[in-house]
Amino acid sequence: MMTPGGSGRFKPLPTAMYAGYSGTASSWVAKTSVSASGKRIQREMAELNVDPPLDCSAGPKGDNLYHWIATIIGPLGTAYEGGIFFLDIVFPSDYPFKPPKLLFKTRIYHCNVDTAGNLSVDILRDSWSPALTITKVLQAIRSIFLKPEPYNPALPMIARLYLSDREKHDEVAKEWTLRFAK
Amino acid sequence: MVNETPLRVTGDGSKEGSIAREKNGEKAEIFISPRFKSAAAMAGWDEEDLIIASFVVDDTPERSSSKRRRRSNLLFKSTSPSSSSSRRRQRVKQSPIRLPVIDLDEVIRHEEEKSAEKKRETKTETKEEKKVLEEKKNSTSVVLPCIDKLRDELSCAICLEICFEPSTTTCGHSFCKKCLRSASDKCGRKCPKCRQLIGNGRYCTVNTVLWNTIQLLFPKEVETQRAAASSAKSPSPRNHQNQRVRSRNNRDQERLQREDLSRLFVSNEDRSERRRRGASVRLDQDGDAAFAMRLQRQEFASAFGVTATNATSSSSSSASTLLLARANLRAMASRAVRRQG
Repeated sequence: MMTPGGSGRFKPLPTAMYAGYSGTASSWVAKTSVSASGKRIQREMAELNVDPPLDCSAGPKGDNLYHWIATIIGPLGTAYEGGIFFLDIVFPSDYPFKPPKLLFKTRIYHCNVDTAGNLSVDILRDSWSPALTITKVLQAIRSIFLKPEPYNPALPMIARLYLSDREKHDEVAKEWTLRFAK
Repeated sequence: MVNETPLRVTGDGSKEGSIAREKNGEKAEIFISPRFKSAAAMAGWDEEDLIIASFVVDDTPERSSSKRRRRSNLLFKSTSPSSSSSRRRQRVKQSPIRLPVIDLDEVIRHEEEKSAEKKRETKTETKEEKKVLEEKKNSTSVVLPCIDKLRDELSCAICLEICFEPSTTTCGHSFCKKCLRSASDKCGRKCPKCRQLIGNGRYCTVNTVLWNTIQLLFPKEVETQRAAASSAKSPSPRNHQNQRVRSRNNRDQERLQREDLSRLFVSNEDRSERRRRGASVRLDQDGDAAFAMRLQRQEFASAFGVTATNATSSSSSSASTLLLARANLRAMASRAVRRQG
Protein backbone atom coordinates (compact mmCIF):
# COMPACT_ATOMS: atom_id res chain seq x y z
CA MET A 1 0.00 0.00 0.00
CA MET A 2 2.80 2.38 0.83
CA THR A 3 4.63 3.93 -2.04
CA PRO A 4 7.75 1.88 -2.68
CA GLY A 5 9.85 4.90 -3.52
CA GLY A 6 9.44 6.60 -0.20
CA SER A 7 9.06 3.53 1.97
CA GLY A 8 12.10 4.53 3.94
CA ARG A 9 10.32 7.55 5.21
CA PHE A 10 7.34 5.66 6.59
CA LYS A 11 7.87 4.36 10.07
CA PRO A 12 5.22 2.87 12.31
CA LEU A 13 3.88 5.38 14.77
CA PRO A 14 4.86 5.14 18.41
CA THR A 15 1.76 3.31 19.58
CA ALA A 16 1.88 4.44 23.19
CA MET A 17 1.20 8.04 22.23
CA TYR A 18 -2.37 7.60 21.14
CA ALA A 19 -5.22 6.38 23.28
CA GLY A 20 -7.37 4.67 20.68
CA TYR A 21 -4.57 3.57 18.49
CA SER A 22 -3.45 -0.04 18.57
CA GLY A 23 -1.69 -2.42 16.23
CA THR A 24 0.98 -1.88 13.63
CA ALA A 25 0.95 0.66 10.83
CA SER A 26 0.04 -1.92 8.20
CA SER A 27 -3.14 -2.97 9.98
CA TRP A 28 -4.98 0.25 9.30
CA VAL A 29 -3.24 1.05 6.05
CA ALA A 30 -4.50 -2.16 4.54
CA LYS A 31 -8.13 -1.23 5.18
CA THR A 32 -8.05 2.11 3.41
CA SER A 33 -7.85 2.79 -0.25
CA VAL A 34 -4.77 4.49 -1.63
CA SER A 35 -6.56 7.50 -2.99
CA ALA A 36 -4.83 10.83 -3.43
CA SER A 37 -6.18 11.99 -0.08
CA GLY A 38 -5.08 8.80 1.65
CA LYS A 39 -1.60 9.15 0.23
CA ARG A 40 -1.41 12.72 1.32
CA ILE A 41 -2.57 11.85 4.86
CA GLN A 42 0.03 9.09 5.05
CA ARG A 43 2.67 11.58 3.98
CA GLU A 44 1.53 14.03 6.61
CA MET A 45 1.70 11.35 9.25
CA ALA A 46 5.25 10.52 8.25
CA GLU A 47 6.12 14.20 8.37
CA LEU A 48 4.59 14.53 11.83
CA ASN A 49 6.68 11.60 13.01
CA VAL A 50 9.89 12.96 11.59
CA ASP A 51 9.41 16.56 12.64
CA PRO A 52 6.62 17.00 15.22
CA PRO A 53 5.54 20.58 15.96
CA LEU A 54 6.14 22.03 19.42
CA ASP A 55 3.62 20.93 22.08
CA CYS A 56 1.54 19.04 19.52
CA SER A 57 1.04 15.42 18.52
CA ALA A 58 -1.43 13.73 16.24
CA GLY A 59 -2.21 10.39 14.68
CA PRO A 60 -5.03 8.13 13.51
CA LYS A 61 -7.55 7.19 16.17
CA GLY A 62 -7.92 3.59 15.10
CA ASP A 63 -8.25 1.75 11.83
CA ASN A 64 -9.53 4.77 9.94
CA LEU A 65 -6.85 6.87 8.33
CA TYR A 66 -9.28 9.77 7.98
CA HIS A 67 -10.09 10.02 11.67
CA TRP A 68 -7.32 11.32 13.85
CA ILE A 69 -6.85 12.39 17.38
CA ALA A 70 -4.52 15.22 18.35
CA THR A 71 -3.20 16.66 21.58
CA ILE A 72 -1.97 20.14 22.25
CA ILE A 73 -0.14 20.93 25.45
CA GLY A 74 -0.90 24.37 26.81
CA PRO A 75 2.12 26.52 26.05
CA LEU A 76 4.25 27.81 28.90
CA GLY A 77 3.54 31.34 30.06
CA THR A 78 -0.13 31.27 29.08
CA ALA A 79 -3.35 30.69 30.97
CA TYR A 80 -3.50 27.21 29.44
CA GLU A 81 -0.07 26.17 30.80
CA GLY A 82 0.10 22.54 31.85
CA GLY A 83 -3.20 21.56 30.31
CA ILE A 84 -3.53 18.78 27.75
CA PHE A 85 -6.19 19.47 25.18
CA PHE A 86 -7.55 16.71 23.01
CA LEU A 87 -8.87 17.36 19.56
CA ASP A 88 -10.72 15.21 17.05
CA ILE A 89 -9.66 15.58 13.45
CA VAL A 90 -11.80 14.32 10.59
CA PHE A 91 -10.38 14.53 7.10
CA PRO A 92 -12.87 14.90 4.26
CA SER A 93 -12.61 12.49 1.33
CA ASP A 94 -11.43 15.30 -0.96
CA TYR A 95 -8.72 16.41 1.42
CA PRO A 96 -6.54 18.48 0.93
CA PHE A 97 -8.91 20.46 -1.27
CA LYS A 98 -11.36 20.76 1.61
CA PRO A 99 -10.23 21.61 5.15
CA PRO A 100 -10.15 19.00 7.90
CA LYS A 101 -12.74 19.34 10.65
CA LEU A 102 -11.25 19.93 14.06
CA LEU A 103 -13.15 19.68 17.31
CA PHE A 104 -11.93 20.31 20.83
CA LYS A 105 -12.75 17.31 22.99
CA THR A 106 -11.43 19.02 26.08
CA ARG A 107 -13.37 21.98 27.37
CA ILE A 108 -11.46 25.23 27.12
CA TYR A 109 -12.08 28.84 28.02
CA HIS A 110 -11.08 30.52 24.77
CA CYS A 111 -12.76 33.15 22.63
CA ASN A 112 -12.10 31.18 19.44
CA VAL A 113 -13.54 27.88 20.69
CA ASP A 114 -17.29 27.57 21.21
CA THR A 115 -19.01 25.42 23.81
CA ALA A 116 -19.30 22.48 21.42
CA GLY A 117 -15.57 22.62 20.76
CA ASN A 118 -15.76 24.15 17.27
CA LEU A 119 -12.94 26.45 16.29
CA SER A 120 -13.32 29.81 14.65
CA VAL A 121 -10.05 29.82 12.81
CA ASP A 122 -10.11 31.28 9.33
CA ILE A 123 -7.68 28.76 7.85
CA LEU A 124 -10.12 25.97 8.76
CA ARG A 125 -12.94 27.70 6.91
CA ASP A 126 -12.69 30.22 4.09
CA SER A 127 -8.95 30.67 4.10
CA TRP A 128 -8.17 27.00 3.78
CA SER A 129 -5.51 26.20 1.26
CA PRO A 130 -4.55 22.77 -0.02
CA ALA A 131 -0.95 23.68 0.72
CA LEU A 132 -1.72 23.65 4.45
CA THR A 133 -0.98 20.53 6.41
CA ILE A 134 -2.25 19.26 9.73
CA THR A 135 1.08 20.26 11.23
CA LYS A 136 0.49 23.85 10.22
CA VAL A 137 -3.08 23.71 11.48
CA LEU A 138 -1.90 22.48 14.88
CA GLN A 139 0.72 25.19 14.99
CA ALA A 140 -1.97 27.74 14.21
CA ILE A 141 -4.07 26.43 17.08
CA ARG A 142 -1.09 26.61 19.36
CA SER A 143 -0.58 30.20 18.28
CA ILE A 144 -4.15 31.13 19.24
CA PHE A 145 -3.37 29.71 22.68
CA LEU A 146 -0.56 32.21 22.88
CA LYS A 147 -2.52 35.01 21.30
CA PRO A 148 -6.31 34.69 20.97
CA GLU A 149 -8.08 36.39 18.08
CA PRO A 150 -10.86 38.41 19.72
CA TYR A 151 -11.94 40.03 16.46
CA ASN A 152 -12.92 36.66 14.99
CA PRO A 153 -14.52 35.08 18.01
CA ALA A 154 -16.57 31.94 18.47
CA LEU A 155 -17.78 33.25 21.81
CA PRO A 156 -18.04 37.06 21.76
CA MET A 157 -18.52 37.18 25.54
CA ILE A 158 -15.05 35.80 26.19
CA ALA A 159 -13.60 38.02 23.46
CA ARG A 160 -15.10 41.07 25.11
CA LEU A 161 -13.69 40.06 28.47
CA TYR A 162 -10.31 39.37 26.89
CA LEU A 163 -10.24 42.86 25.40
CA SER A 164 -11.56 44.70 28.43
CA ASP A 165 -10.12 42.79 31.35
CA ARG A 166 -7.25 40.55 30.34
CA GLU A 167 -6.35 39.55 33.92
CA LYS A 168 -9.81 38.29 34.75
CA HIS A 169 -9.97 36.42 31.46
CA ASP A 170 -6.66 34.68 32.22
CA GLU A 171 -7.82 33.79 35.71
CA VAL A 172 -10.95 32.06 34.39
CA ALA A 173 -8.96 30.34 31.70
CA LYS A 174 -6.51 28.97 34.29
CA GLU A 175 -9.40 27.69 36.37
CA TRP A 176 -10.92 25.92 33.39
CA THR A 177 -7.57 24.43 32.43
CA LEU A 178 -7.11 23.09 35.94
CA ARG A 179 -10.62 21.72 36.04
CA PHE A 180 -10.90 20.15 32.56
CA ALA A 181 -7.45 19.74 31.05
CA LYS A 182 -5.44 18.07 33.81
CA MET B 1 47.06 -8.33 -72.55
CA VAL B 2 49.85 -5.98 -71.68
CA ASN B 3 51.91 -7.38 -74.49
CA GLU B 4 49.26 -6.49 -76.94
CA THR B 5 49.64 -2.77 -76.28
CA PRO B 6 51.54 -1.39 -79.22
CA LEU B 7 52.75 1.77 -77.52
CA ARG B 8 55.61 0.52 -75.46
CA VAL B 9 59.24 1.31 -75.13
CA THR B 10 61.54 -1.61 -75.75
CA GLY B 11 63.41 -2.42 -72.56
CA ASP B 12 66.94 -1.94 -73.92
CA GLY B 13 68.51 -0.86 -70.66
CA SER B 14 66.81 2.54 -70.70
CA LYS B 15 65.77 2.74 -67.08
CA GLU B 16 63.38 5.60 -67.43
CA GLY B 17 61.38 3.55 -69.91
CA SER B 18 61.02 0.22 -68.16
CA ILE B 19 60.99 -0.67 -64.50
CA ALA B 20 61.63 -4.22 -63.54
CA ARG B 21 59.99 -5.63 -60.47
CA GLU B 22 59.38 -8.98 -58.87
CA LYS B 23 55.90 -10.36 -58.88
CA ASN B 24 54.93 -13.88 -57.83
CA GLY B 25 58.51 -14.96 -58.22
CA GLU B 26 58.49 -13.91 -61.86
CA LYS B 27 60.15 -10.92 -63.31
CA ALA B 28 57.52 -8.58 -64.66
CA GLU B 29 58.31 -5.41 -66.46
CA ILE B 30 56.18 -2.36 -66.46
CA PHE B 31 56.37 -0.34 -69.57
CA ILE B 32 55.37 3.25 -69.72
CA SER B 33 54.86 4.81 -73.08
CA PRO B 34 56.73 8.03 -73.86
CA ARG B 35 53.49 9.80 -74.66
CA PHE B 36 52.06 8.92 -71.28
CA LYS B 37 55.31 9.99 -69.69
CA SER B 38 55.20 13.33 -71.40
CA ALA B 39 51.61 13.74 -70.37
CA ALA B 40 52.56 12.87 -66.79
CA ALA B 41 55.41 15.37 -66.93
CA MET B 42 52.94 18.00 -68.04
CA ALA B 43 50.75 17.09 -65.12
CA GLY B 44 53.74 17.48 -62.83
CA TRP B 45 54.39 13.79 -62.13
CA ASP B 46 57.91 12.59 -61.89
CA GLU B 47 59.36 9.10 -62.28
CA GLU B 48 58.66 7.91 -58.75
CA ASP B 49 55.04 8.96 -58.91
CA LEU B 50 54.66 6.98 -62.06
CA ILE B 51 56.22 3.93 -60.45
CA ILE B 52 53.95 4.23 -57.44
CA ALA B 53 50.98 4.65 -59.72
CA SER B 54 51.98 1.55 -61.62
CA PHE B 55 52.21 -0.40 -58.36
CA VAL B 56 48.77 0.79 -57.40
CA VAL B 57 47.44 -0.30 -60.74
CA ASP B 58 49.14 -3.64 -60.37
CA ASP B 59 47.80 -4.22 -56.87
CA THR B 60 44.18 -3.74 -57.84
CA PRO B 61 42.38 -7.09 -58.11
CA GLU B 62 42.51 -8.67 -61.52
CA ARG B 63 39.42 -8.51 -63.58
CA SER B 64 40.83 -10.15 -66.62
CA SER B 65 38.92 -13.38 -66.03
CA SER B 66 35.55 -11.68 -66.02
CA LYS B 67 36.56 -9.58 -68.99
CA ARG B 68 37.57 -12.70 -70.79
CA ARG B 69 34.27 -14.26 -69.96
CA ARG B 70 32.46 -11.26 -71.24
CA ARG B 71 34.57 -11.36 -74.32
CA SER B 72 33.85 -15.01 -74.85
CA ASN B 73 30.18 -14.23 -74.41
CA LEU B 74 30.50 -11.61 -77.05
CA LEU B 75 32.21 -14.09 -79.25
CA PHE B 76 29.46 -16.59 -78.67
CA LYS B 77 26.93 -13.94 -79.33
CA SER B 78 28.39 -13.33 -82.72
CA THR B 79 28.33 -17.02 -83.54
CA SER B 80 25.22 -18.25 -81.78
CA PRO B 81 22.85 -15.58 -80.49
CA SER B 82 20.12 -18.14 -79.76
CA SER B 83 21.83 -19.51 -76.63
CA SER B 84 21.47 -16.32 -74.59
CA SER B 85 17.88 -15.84 -75.66
CA SER B 86 17.12 -19.41 -74.63
CA ARG B 87 18.66 -18.64 -71.27
CA ARG B 88 16.44 -15.63 -70.97
CA ARG B 89 13.48 -17.80 -71.77
CA GLN B 90 14.50 -20.19 -69.02
CA ARG B 91 14.68 -17.35 -66.59
CA VAL B 92 11.23 -16.18 -67.63
CA LYS B 93 9.93 -19.67 -67.07
CA GLN B 94 11.44 -19.90 -63.62
CA SER B 95 10.40 -16.52 -62.38
CA PRO B 96 6.66 -17.05 -61.69
CA ILE B 97 7.38 -20.00 -59.47
CA ARG B 98 10.44 -18.62 -57.84
CA LEU B 99 9.35 -15.14 -56.92
CA PRO B 100 6.64 -15.87 -54.35
CA VAL B 101 8.70 -18.68 -52.86
CA ILE B 102 11.70 -16.51 -52.19
CA ASP B 103 9.48 -13.70 -50.99
CA LEU B 104 7.92 -15.80 -48.23
CA ASP B 105 11.15 -17.02 -46.77
CA GLU B 106 13.00 -13.81 -47.17
CA VAL B 107 10.23 -11.90 -45.51
CA ILE B 108 10.30 -14.25 -42.55
CA ARG B 109 14.05 -14.10 -42.28
CA HIS B 110 13.97 -10.34 -42.65
CA GLU B 111 11.49 -10.04 -39.81
CA GLU B 112 13.56 -12.32 -37.65
CA GLU B 113 16.60 -10.21 -38.29
CA LYS B 114 14.63 -7.09 -37.54
CA SER B 115 13.33 -8.46 -34.28
CA ALA B 116 16.81 -9.60 -33.33
CA GLU B 117 18.13 -6.15 -34.06
CA LYS B 118 15.40 -4.59 -32.01
CA LYS B 119 16.18 -6.92 -29.15
CA ARG B 120 19.79 -5.95 -29.38
CA GLU B 121 18.85 -2.31 -29.43
CA THR B 122 16.58 -2.62 -26.44
CA LYS B 123 19.29 -4.51 -24.60
CA THR B 124 21.82 -1.82 -25.24
CA GLU B 125 19.29 0.82 -24.32
CA THR B 126 18.46 -0.86 -21.05
CA LYS B 127 22.17 -1.18 -20.35
CA GLU B 128 22.62 2.49 -20.98
CA GLU B 129 19.68 3.30 -18.78
CA LYS B 130 21.14 1.19 -16.02
CA LYS B 131 24.43 2.98 -16.37
CA VAL B 132 22.70 6.33 -16.20
CA LEU B 133 20.74 5.22 -13.16
CA GLU B 134 23.89 4.08 -11.45
CA GLU B 135 25.54 7.36 -12.23
CA LYS B 136 22.56 9.15 -10.82
CA LYS B 137 22.72 7.02 -7.70
CA ASN B 138 26.35 7.91 -7.33
CA SER B 139 25.59 11.56 -7.88
CA THR B 140 22.78 11.47 -5.32
CA SER B 141 25.09 9.79 -2.86
CA VAL B 142 27.55 12.57 -3.56
CA VAL B 143 24.95 15.31 -3.04
CA LEU B 144 23.38 13.47 -0.10
CA PRO B 145 23.80 16.23 2.52
CA CYS B 146 21.42 18.56 0.70
CA ILE B 147 19.23 15.97 -1.03
CA ASP B 148 16.65 16.07 1.75
CA LYS B 149 16.39 19.82 1.50
CA LEU B 150 16.07 19.47 -2.25
CA ARG B 151 13.36 16.89 -1.74
CA ASP B 152 11.41 19.30 0.45
CA GLU B 153 11.99 22.12 -1.97
CA LEU B 154 10.93 20.15 -5.03
CA SER B 155 7.91 18.45 -3.52
CA CYS B 156 4.40 19.62 -4.27
CA ALA B 157 2.67 21.34 -1.36
CA ILE B 158 -0.63 19.72 -2.30
CA CYS B 159 0.25 16.04 -2.60
CA LEU B 160 3.47 16.35 -0.59
CA GLU B 161 5.27 14.13 -3.12
CA ILE B 162 8.01 15.09 -5.52
CA CYS B 163 6.42 17.38 -8.09
CA PHE B 164 5.18 15.37 -11.04
CA GLU B 165 5.09 17.53 -14.16
CA PRO B 166 5.35 20.74 -12.17
CA SER B 167 3.66 23.87 -13.37
CA THR B 168 4.52 27.25 -11.97
CA THR B 169 1.99 29.90 -11.07
CA THR B 170 2.34 33.56 -11.97
CA CYS B 171 3.34 34.20 -8.37
CA GLY B 172 6.23 31.77 -8.75
CA HIS B 173 5.03 28.73 -6.81
CA SER B 174 5.23 25.29 -8.37
CA PHE B 175 2.89 22.34 -7.94
CA CYS B 176 2.09 19.17 -9.80
CA LYS B 177 0.09 20.05 -12.87
CA LYS B 178 -2.74 17.77 -11.79
CA CYS B 179 -2.73 19.01 -8.20
CA LEU B 180 -2.81 22.64 -9.24
CA ARG B 181 -5.64 22.03 -11.64
CA SER B 182 -7.81 20.26 -9.09
CA ALA B 183 -6.92 22.90 -6.48
CA SER B 184 -8.09 25.69 -8.77
CA ASP B 185 -11.22 23.69 -9.58
CA LYS B 186 -12.17 22.99 -5.96
CA CYS B 187 -10.68 25.89 -4.02
CA GLY B 188 -10.90 28.76 -6.46
CA ARG B 189 -8.25 30.31 -8.63
CA LYS B 190 -5.88 31.20 -5.85
CA CYS B 191 -2.34 30.08 -5.34
CA PRO B 192 -2.42 27.45 -2.60
CA LYS B 193 0.73 28.90 -1.10
CA CYS B 194 0.26 32.65 -1.19
CA ARG B 195 -3.44 33.02 -2.07
CA GLN B 196 -2.69 35.29 -4.99
CA LEU B 197 -5.00 35.03 -7.94
CA ILE B 198 -3.65 32.79 -10.63
CA GLY B 199 -4.33 33.86 -14.17
CA ASN B 200 -6.17 32.45 -17.08
CA GLY B 201 -5.16 28.82 -17.46
CA ARG B 202 -1.48 29.52 -17.80
CA TYR B 203 -0.86 27.30 -14.84
CA CYS B 204 -1.51 24.27 -17.01
CA THR B 205 1.86 24.42 -18.73
CA VAL B 206 4.69 22.30 -17.37
CA ASN B 207 7.79 24.09 -16.15
CA THR B 208 10.18 22.07 -18.27
CA VAL B 209 13.39 23.15 -16.60
CA LEU B 210 12.05 22.25 -13.19
CA TRP B 211 10.59 19.01 -14.47
CA ASN B 212 13.88 17.96 -16.07
CA THR B 213 15.74 18.84 -12.89
CA ILE B 214 13.35 16.77 -10.84
CA GLN B 215 13.71 13.86 -13.24
CA LEU B 216 17.47 14.06 -12.95
CA LEU B 217 17.51 14.34 -9.18
CA PHE B 218 14.76 11.89 -8.26
CA PRO B 219 14.49 9.31 -11.04
CA LYS B 220 13.16 6.65 -8.69
CA GLU B 221 10.35 8.75 -7.27
CA VAL B 222 9.31 9.99 -10.68
CA GLU B 223 9.29 6.43 -11.98
CA THR B 224 7.07 5.17 -9.16
CA GLN B 225 4.68 8.08 -9.59
CA ARG B 226 4.55 7.48 -13.30
CA ALA B 227 3.85 3.81 -12.74
CA ALA B 228 1.07 4.68 -10.31
CA ALA B 229 -0.42 7.16 -12.76
CA SER B 230 -0.29 4.68 -15.63
CA SER B 231 -1.82 1.91 -13.51
CA ALA B 232 -4.60 4.24 -12.39
CA LYS B 233 -5.34 5.30 -15.95
CA SER B 234 -6.02 3.07 -18.90
CA PRO B 235 -2.73 1.94 -20.42
CA SER B 236 -1.37 5.07 -22.04
CA PRO B 237 1.52 4.97 -24.51
CA ARG B 238 4.28 6.67 -22.60
CA ASN B 239 7.87 6.88 -23.66
CA HIS B 240 9.20 4.24 -21.36
CA GLN B 241 6.48 1.80 -22.42
CA ASN B 242 7.08 2.18 -26.12
CA GLN B 243 9.70 -0.53 -26.18
CA ARG B 244 7.40 -2.98 -24.49
CA VAL B 245 4.64 -2.07 -26.88
CA ARG B 246 6.95 -2.60 -29.82
CA SER B 247 7.98 -6.04 -28.64
CA ARG B 248 4.33 -6.86 -28.04
CA ASN B 249 3.58 -5.86 -31.60
CA ASN B 250 6.28 -8.22 -32.80
CA ARG B 251 4.79 -11.00 -30.77
CA ASP B 252 1.36 -10.19 -32.13
CA GLN B 253 2.66 -10.38 -35.65
CA GLU B 254 4.17 -13.78 -34.99
CA ARG B 255 0.96 -14.95 -33.43
CA LEU B 256 -1.00 -13.68 -36.40
CA GLN B 257 1.24 -15.63 -38.72
CA ARG B 258 0.72 -18.74 -36.70
CA GLU B 259 -3.01 -18.14 -36.66
CA ASP B 260 -2.96 -17.79 -40.41
CA LEU B 261 -1.40 -21.20 -40.68
CA SER B 262 -3.90 -22.70 -38.24
CA ARG B 263 -6.72 -21.07 -40.21
CA LEU B 264 -5.37 -22.89 -43.21
CA PHE B 265 -5.69 -26.19 -41.35
CA VAL B 266 -9.18 -25.33 -40.23
CA SER B 267 -10.33 -24.31 -43.66
CA ASN B 268 -8.88 -27.51 -45.03
CA GLU B 269 -10.81 -29.64 -42.57
CA ASP B 270 -13.97 -27.63 -43.10
CA ARG B 271 -13.77 -28.12 -46.79
CA SER B 272 -13.21 -31.82 -46.55
CA GLU B 273 -16.25 -32.11 -44.29
CA ARG B 274 -18.35 -30.02 -46.64
CA ARG B 275 -17.25 -32.26 -49.45
CA ARG B 276 -18.46 -35.28 -47.56
CA ARG B 277 -21.85 -33.61 -47.22
CA GLY B 278 -21.74 -32.77 -50.92
CA ALA B 279 -22.79 -29.14 -50.59
CA SER B 280 -21.60 -26.12 -52.60
CA VAL B 281 -19.17 -28.07 -54.69
CA ARG B 282 -18.21 -25.31 -57.06
CA LEU B 283 -17.23 -22.92 -54.31
CA ASP B 284 -15.22 -25.67 -52.73
CA GLN B 285 -13.42 -26.32 -55.95
CA ASP B 286 -12.46 -22.69 -56.28
CA GLY B 287 -11.40 -22.57 -52.68
CA ASP B 288 -9.49 -25.80 -53.03
CA ALA B 289 -7.66 -24.46 -56.05
CA ALA B 290 -6.61 -21.43 -54.08
CA PHE B 291 -5.69 -23.62 -51.15
CA ALA B 292 -3.67 -25.92 -53.38
CA MET B 293 -1.85 -22.89 -54.75
CA ARG B 294 -1.07 -21.70 -51.26
CA LEU B 295 0.07 -25.15 -50.24
CA GLN B 296 2.31 -25.35 -53.25
CA ARG B 297 3.87 -22.08 -52.31
CA GLN B 298 4.38 -23.29 -48.79
CA GLU B 299 5.96 -26.43 -50.15
CA PHE B 300 8.36 -24.47 -52.29
CA ALA B 301 9.08 -22.16 -49.44
CA SER B 302 9.92 -25.07 -47.19
CA ALA B 303 12.13 -26.63 -49.84
CA PHE B 304 14.04 -23.46 -50.43
CA GLY B 305 14.03 -22.64 -46.75
CA VAL B 306 15.73 -25.96 -45.98
CA THR B 307 18.45 -25.38 -48.51
CA ALA B 308 18.94 -21.84 -47.36
CA THR B 309 19.17 -22.79 -43.71
CA ASN B 310 21.57 -25.58 -44.57
CA ALA B 311 23.70 -23.21 -46.57
CA THR B 312 23.81 -20.56 -43.89
CA SER B 313 23.68 -23.11 -41.04
CA SER B 314 21.57 -20.71 -39.00
CA SER B 315 18.42 -22.64 -38.11
CA SER B 316 16.73 -20.74 -35.30
CA SER B 317 13.90 -22.15 -33.24
CA SER B 318 11.23 -20.10 -35.00
CA ALA B 319 12.41 -21.37 -38.38
CA SER B 320 12.12 -24.94 -37.14
CA THR B 321 8.59 -24.28 -35.88
CA LEU B 322 7.67 -22.88 -39.25
CA LEU B 323 9.05 -26.00 -40.90
CA LEU B 324 7.01 -28.10 -38.51
CA ALA B 325 3.92 -26.13 -39.39
CA ARG B 326 4.57 -26.75 -43.06
CA ALA B 327 5.02 -30.45 -42.48
CA ASN B 328 1.72 -30.46 -40.64
CA LEU B 329 0.10 -28.67 -43.52
CA ARG B 330 1.38 -31.24 -45.96
CA ALA B 331 0.08 -34.05 -43.78
CA MET B 332 -3.32 -32.41 -43.55
CA ALA B 333 -3.47 -31.93 -47.28
CA SER B 334 -2.65 -35.54 -47.97
CA ARG B 335 -5.32 -36.63 -45.47
CA ALA B 336 -7.86 -34.42 -47.23
CA VAL B 337 -6.93 -35.95 -50.56
CA ARG B 338 -7.40 -39.44 -49.11
CA ARG B 339 -10.83 -38.46 -47.77
CA GLN B 340 -11.79 -37.23 -51.20
CA GLY B 341 -10.79 -40.52 -52.72
